[in-house]
Amino acid sequence: MIAEPSLYTDRADEWLVERCRESADEAAFAELVRRYRGPVFRLAVSVLGQEFAPEAEDVAQDVMLRVHHALRSFRGEARFASWIYRIAFNQALNVKARARYRAPHVSDQALAATPSQDRGPHDRLQDEQRKQAVLACVGELPEVYQSALRLHYWLGAGVSEIAVLLDAPENTVKSYLHRARRLLSAQLAERGFDAR
Amino acid sequence: MHDDDGMDRLLRDAMAAGAPRLSPAFDARVMRRVRPRRLTPAGRATIAVYAVAAAAAAVWLMRGLPLESIVAAAAIGGLAAAGASAYVRRLAVGR
Repeated sequence: MIAEPSLYTDRADEWLVERCRESADEAAFAELVRRYRGPVFRLAVSVLGQEFAPEAEDVAQDVMLRVHHALRSFRGEARFASWIYRIAFNQALNVKARARYRAPHVSDQALAATPSQDRGPHDRLQDEQRKQAVLACVGELPEVYQSALRLHYWLGAGVSEIAVLLDAPENTVKSYLHRARRLLSAQLAERGFDAR
Repeated sequence: MHDDDGMDRLLRDAMAAGAPRLSPAFDARVMRRVRPRRLTPAGRATIAVYAVAAAAAAVWLMRGLPLESIVAAAAIGGLAAAGASAYVRRLAVGR
């Protein structure tokens, strides 16, 4: 018998996982999908970046299918959340590596466009060039820094949410963000931009 | 610190584009993919008829062969059928 997913909203992840494993309860899996689709998608988007954001939904779907397939072998040594986020991070990295061989769907310019209306065309052009340089430099940082920056600045995630998604202590996330900004500042300076 | 604040502003500005959203049909799509696919009654009947016909044809074709050859043919045929069946199942669930 299949129960409505709403019946399981107050159940713990471990209970839902056990139901999936022992009785292949479709509603229990549906509840896990409902809980984790958003965070998994955000994590995938943060790894893939703006250029390959359209692939993030495919990554999220693939992660759910992989998790469903692997639930039988999940022994509960790690928390379910950590497990699924690790799968999502690795899957997104794989997709990103493949996607790099293709042209981006939408240019960074279109995605980052937020024109300043009260400034002259020269200033606007300079701003635009600086934004492009920032986005290009972000793409050259270590993957975990890129992900932390995009989660924070693009997707509006707080340090605690990033810590959960990247499975790292909050202080480590703060350190990632700080070091990423320092590296970016240096990279921008090399390209002739100042971080003002 | 001043540099860090400047970088903070610059990043906010550069990443001001709206965040992408998951499509509303996501859950339904995932659940459709994980749901086991079952054969229709007509599909089951077709496979049953095919199995009986194949077995009858095999018996008729191998009627004059020694027993060892029949056992070897049945073993090879059985393994090949099991392999093909597993492969088709994997294709059906998209893995």
